[in-house]
Amino acid sequence: MRVKLTGIRKSFGALEVVKGLELDIADGEFLVLLGPSGCGKTTALRMVAGLESVTDGRILIGARDVTDVLPKYRDVAMVFQSYALYPHMTIAENVAYPLKLRKVPPAERDAAVRAAAAKVHLDDLLDRYPRQLSGGQRQRVALARAMVRRPSVFLMDEPLSNLDAKLRGHMRSELKRLQAELGVTTIYVTHDQIEAMTLAHRVAIMNRGIVQQIASPRQIYDDPANLFVAGFIGSPPMNFLQGALVDGAFVCPEGRVAVAGAENRPRVTAGLRPEDCQVTGPSQGKIAARVYALELMGDHTLITCQCGEATLTVKADKGAAHEMDAPIGVTFSERSVFLFDTDSGERIRRPRNE
Amino acid sequence: MSDDARPLLRRLFEPSSIDTQAPAAKVLTYGLLLLWSLVVLVPLYWVLITSFKGPGEVDNGPFYLPFVDFKPSLDAWRFMLLENNTLGPYLNSVVVALASTGLAVLIGSLAAYALVRIRFQVKLAAIAIFLLLLVGVITLVATLGVSWQIAVAVAVALFLLALATVVRRTRRAVGNNDIEFWIISNRIMPPIVAVLPIYVMFQQLRLLDTQIALIATYTAVNLPIVVWLTRDFFAGIPIDLEESAALDGASRFRIFFTIALPLVRSGLVATFLLVLILAWNEYLLALFLSNADAQTMPVLVSAQNTTRGPQWWNMSVLIVVMIAPVVVIASVLQKHIARGLLVGAVKG
Repeated sequence: MRVKLTGIRKSFGALEVVKGLELDIADGEFLVLLGPSGCGKTTALRMVAGLESVTDGRILIGARDVTDVLPKYRDVAMVFQSYALYPHMTIAENVAYPLKLRKVPPAERDAAVRAAAAKVHLDDLLDRYPRQLSGGQRQRVALARAMVRRPSVFLMDEPLSNLDAKLRGHMRSELKRLQAELGVTTIYVTHDQIEAMTLAHRVAIMNRGIVQQIASPRQIYDDPANLFVAGFIGSPPMNFLQGALVDGAFVCPEGRVAVAGAENRPRVTAGLRPEDCQVTGPSQGKIAARVYALELMGDHTLITCQCGEATLTVKADKGAAHEMDAPIGVTFSERSVFLFDTDSGERIRRPRNE
Repeated sequence: MSDDARPLLRRLFEPSSIDTQAPAAKVLTYGLLLLWSLVVLVPLYWVLITSFKGPGEVDNGPFYLPFVDFKPSLDAWRFMLLENNTLGPYLNSVVVALASTGLAVLIGSLAAYALVRIRFQVKLAAIAIFLLLLVGVITLVATLGVSWQIAVAVAVALFLLALATVVRRTRRAVGNNDIEFWIISNRIMPPIVAVLPIYVMFQQLRLLDTQIALIATYTAVNLPIVVWLTRDFFAGIPIDLEESAALDGASRFRIFFTIALPLVRSGLVATFLLVLILAWNEYLLALFLSNADAQTMPVLVSAQNTTRGPQWWNMSVLIVVMIAPVVVIASVLQKHIARGLLVGAVKG
């Protein structure tokens, strides 16, 4: 079902943690709220769930205004970071609990529990207690309990962050498939950009209680709206150089890069993705630098370069070999340069790389 | 360990590994435990054998070993159980202790849960006005002879008026911590200081010397203890569990009875036991509030101190009969006092 948030604000005392959130989530969409800790994303999710009251604004689920509706009447299901399984109930009882509260007849309830359990491969564990299960299995129980009653919206609060890295990758793909199969609108909160990029139809990046950009993962990566989004998305993160725009070129102490179509500006930050940079001979590159460290990652090498005050990371071939402190040059295509206003953080758009 | 190279003194005072005790410490520990066991067990033993003694054995004693020192007799048992009315006070004790403990634990845990999970804000002005009106009503009714119905009606109207006007504009309020402290502070002063008003109250209600009076008093007296003990158990439940239940469609009472209560079961059982023993052994209030019909066991025990001198043998019989059920209940319930039920609730 469609979920719409308009002008949502939330204050705890004098502290405003969500400042005018606008979200319009389509039916069946997988929306990820992404941001650093304390950015207000979990609070936003809890307001949709009804666990937190809103200070201002309206929340609509479908055509219904649920702003002042108790959680149990909102028809949403939530998966908590801690899974929140009831320790004194078996897995079957855990999954059946929401149905029991809705007075679903026992036979029907049983069938629904079995179906949900089968969907997340829990068939054999129904008689066990949560304490007898591994982390990944508990995670599945939480998912089964959330989907057993076919809610109109799924809410997930960092559901994968308590799993180890390998299991997390596995559950990520399962989650994506499950959501596609069920077609239930999902709001998913995470601070992990990989989860956001891989799972989402659209990502809403939040910082300090404000949405910075809402777009598809590809757009967010290829066309960041501002300095924060550019720096938050990407691993290793985008490189930033401080300088100025002078006569159609970005000028910094370490070099000069021609950028067409940009007006003169005193304080400008240039952003470069590590994979768009190449290392060249000392005097051939656009920017002069020194090798600071070399890290072999397996299929590629990360070269960290000292470039005046800034450090630049270059994603290079796995065969790359440089001495520490060796002078080098860094080059890149003009199109791959993102320009931002240093003070406001806003993107400076120019005709060629929009 | 044969290849222990440490000198003898160090071996005596130093443990051989981090999770063991040094020999000297061991001797001290077990010695003290033995001493304490004697302090606890000897009186019990003494009561038990005294119940099989007669006046002669008690007065000419001390005799320590039945069949050796003296010839045990069942006279005291026969007298207390068959000829004397012991069953009445015994049933009174059972009913009063169980009912008051059950009520105190139910009401107390509900209160503790509410204090942990619901935010209360009571305006100080509202409390002040309430107390003022209360005093006013009492003075009017008691000294000026105003009919109490009129006085209460006027007071309620005034209170509502004050709530809507004066109280609204004030800021100062008491929160959960204040309420909690107030509840616990009820136990700072011993309940016996209130025994006269309690006595008069039950007298006016014509409830003196009834089980109801004792149950009500004991419930009130033990309530703060229950709130105080159980509040931490409820605070220890991860809030996620309850929020999850709320989203699953459970009401507050549903969450309390199906999620919160089962999770604090072990703590609740311990609290139940403690309060039960307090109520079972209570003497002073029972002495004031009961006479013949509602007399409880502790009062009956002290009644054996008769004009003919203390009847030690009869008293001992009663004490043995009083101890037995507590031991049985404690040993039945103690396996429920196992902790660690929350394992598996949250985190991986």
